[in-house]
Amino acid sequence: MHAVPSTNETTTGEAPARKLRGDWTPINYDLRDTWFPVSHSRDLCARPIRRIIHAQPYYLWRENGLPIAAEFHPQRSKGEALHLSEFTGGSGFYPVVERYGYIWAWYGNPDAADPLQLPHIPFLPEDGNIPGYTQRTVRFDATSALSVENLIDLTHADFLHANTIGDGISESDVVEVEWTSETVTRTRTVAQKSVAPIMRWVGGVRAKYQDFRAVLHIHLRSNVCISYPRFRPGYDVPNLQPFLPVGKHRSRCDVTFNTTAAPAPFRYVMPRINYIIQPQDNSVVRPQNQRYFEADERLDMHSRFDKPGTRYRYQMEQLAERQAAGQFAYGSDAEPGRDISGLLGMND
Amino acid sequence: MTTPGWWAMALCEAVNDKTPLAVAFAGEELVLFRNAEGQAFALEDRCPHRRVPLALGRVVAAGLQCGYHGWTFDGASGRCTQIPNLRTNEPVPPRYAARAFPVSEGNGFVHVWLGEGVPDIDLPTDDYRPVGQQFTGSTIVNMSHEQYLAAMLDGPECLLNFAHVRMTDFFLGDVRKEHGRLVLERGAVWTTQILPSNFVVDYPLIVRTEVPVQGGSIRVDLLSEDETPLISLAIASGANRRGTTSLCWRGFVHAEVPAKAPLRWRTARVWHKAPFTVNSLIDGSAVAALLEAPSRDLHAARPPRLIPVSAVV
Repeated sequence: MHAVPSTNETTTGEAPARKLRGDWTPINYDLRDTWFPVSHSRDLCARPIRRIIHAQPYYLWRENGLPIAAEFHPQRSKGEALHLSEFTGGSGFYPVVERYGYIWAWYGNPDAADPLQLPHIPFLPEDGNIPGYTQRTVRFDATSALSVENLIDLTHADFLHANTIGDGISESDVVEVEWTSETVTRTRTVAQKSVAPIMRWVGGVRAKYQDFRAVLHIHLRSNVCISYPRFRPGYDVPNLQPFLPVGKHRSRCDVTFNTTAAPAPFRYVMPRINYIIQPQDNSVVRPQNQRYFEADERLDMHSRFDKPGTRYRYQMEQLAERQAAGQFAYGSDAEPGRDISGLLGMND
Repeated sequence: MTTPGWWAMALCEAVNDKTPLAVAFAGEELVLFRNAEGQAFALEDRCPHRRVPLALGRVVAAGLQCGYHGWTFDGASGRCTQIPNLRTNEPVPPRYAARAFPVSEGNGFVHVWLGEGVPDIDLPTDDYRPVGQQFTGSTIVNMSHEQYLAAMLDGPECLLNFAHVRMTDFFLGDVRKEHGRLVLERGAVWTTQILPSNFVVDYPLIVRTEVPVQGGSIRVDLLSEDETPLISLAIASGANRRGTTSLCWRGFVHAEVPAKAPLRWRTARVWHKAPFTVNSLIDGSAVAALLEAPSRDLHAARPPRLIPVSAVV
């Protein structure tokens, strides 16, 4: 039995106009006016920590329990003339919100910051009250867009991570892609796939095969990837993987796997799976990164299994073009904060 | 500008049917491997799907399988023959291919044809005819290829050593062009000699270095005073990334033993000790101190840049 291709595409976006495609150069994308989850809430205390979004410095700390995000270090910069940027409107302080166990900082025009544009993450408590074992930090040796592309890419998981996630052999395998001007959503529905090794050996799932439905919802500006895989027999493993663009060559991912509903020891082990998967991914994305610095005359070749990825590339290009033209407002089809419980399949 | 030619890129024994070998020569990043029958192949080290180095993959029956998504490429044509999860009756488009390069093995080296045109029959290492035990190796040195070739003429003692031999910088004549190489000889003495080499009437040894006008095949010989070959080396060289140079070499000791050879040289020979060393670490101060002399002819004779533009299969 072999996987079945993604033949049933659902298209909620408008049909794109035909035009000559150039090469994909994700390293140069610097998308603005969005909320980035820059840190797990639990990592923030009175002592300032440093984060970087593209090339912009973010210093984060708490005052009276409330998060502060600034483009200067509160202690080191005393008495110095500060060079404040347009990202803080000259105030030195970024708009900041704490939600879902993360500190969200605004990147872009501070006047456009609106908490209503925060992504909706239905499987995380708004107050961030979630056990520490669900949260981990991993680093990817590639620009954030390549890291997201790696996540949306299906066949590499079957091949590169087969020993962890399982191979690509199944009775049927249907991939659907939906998109708006600000998001791409990939849904994969697999019937009778070999049970993922981690679920077999740690999760106690003794069946030989399992069905699963995995929804990945990507916010293009912020690289926030909201994933909801459901395994039957097995468990739901909802997770948030936000790829923070730390310059053109690296990305940071403060991950949350909400495995609180799964049995032990699976609930403790699963959030740590990235420590196995991430080196495997880094072994390929690291050398890949330098080959996307500049447009190549030879465009990438795609199989039909790459449709989610090619759609992601196209939507990113469209968004980058709009921003390059000075259009930073969210399109009428984009509601970053809309309830996505149904989209993720949580209500089924 | 394209200068087609064969480049020796690896020792034959370094290329196998288990683990692909990444090499970088003349600005090209390639991957070498063999099929089960032992035939050697060269592909660009770049998967056309997502640009991941193919050297991270593995050799399978159908060719070289990329380690990222499992696309498999035929070694001879470069064509993608398999994409995992495709139905068995679903063909891969013919244009889906990695760049493939002609390969020829000979004289212990795997040669790859870079540039356009029809590959020559002659290989740049054809004059390397070993007898007996060979001494081999490979490395990457922290020096640009053009500078490496220049230093091979101006001061080979910075780049390699013959055991118990001290090279001098007294050139025996000027650079001459022979068989596509610039050839230069210099005097050498045994290290056991008590008097400094300045006092030698006639040098007991000669070091002959031959640097290619095209490509990267270097030849070095240690000769007796009557020009009988004692030790011969073939060094394959080529530009690697970031101003470094890839090297691989083979060398052997000839049957002749010069009458004045010191005992320690004869003993080392009996015990099959390595008769030469190709330096992996190069003394920058020694290279910087080299005066530009014979290499002036190299700059004039050698094309400034060799850029292969496409694969020829």
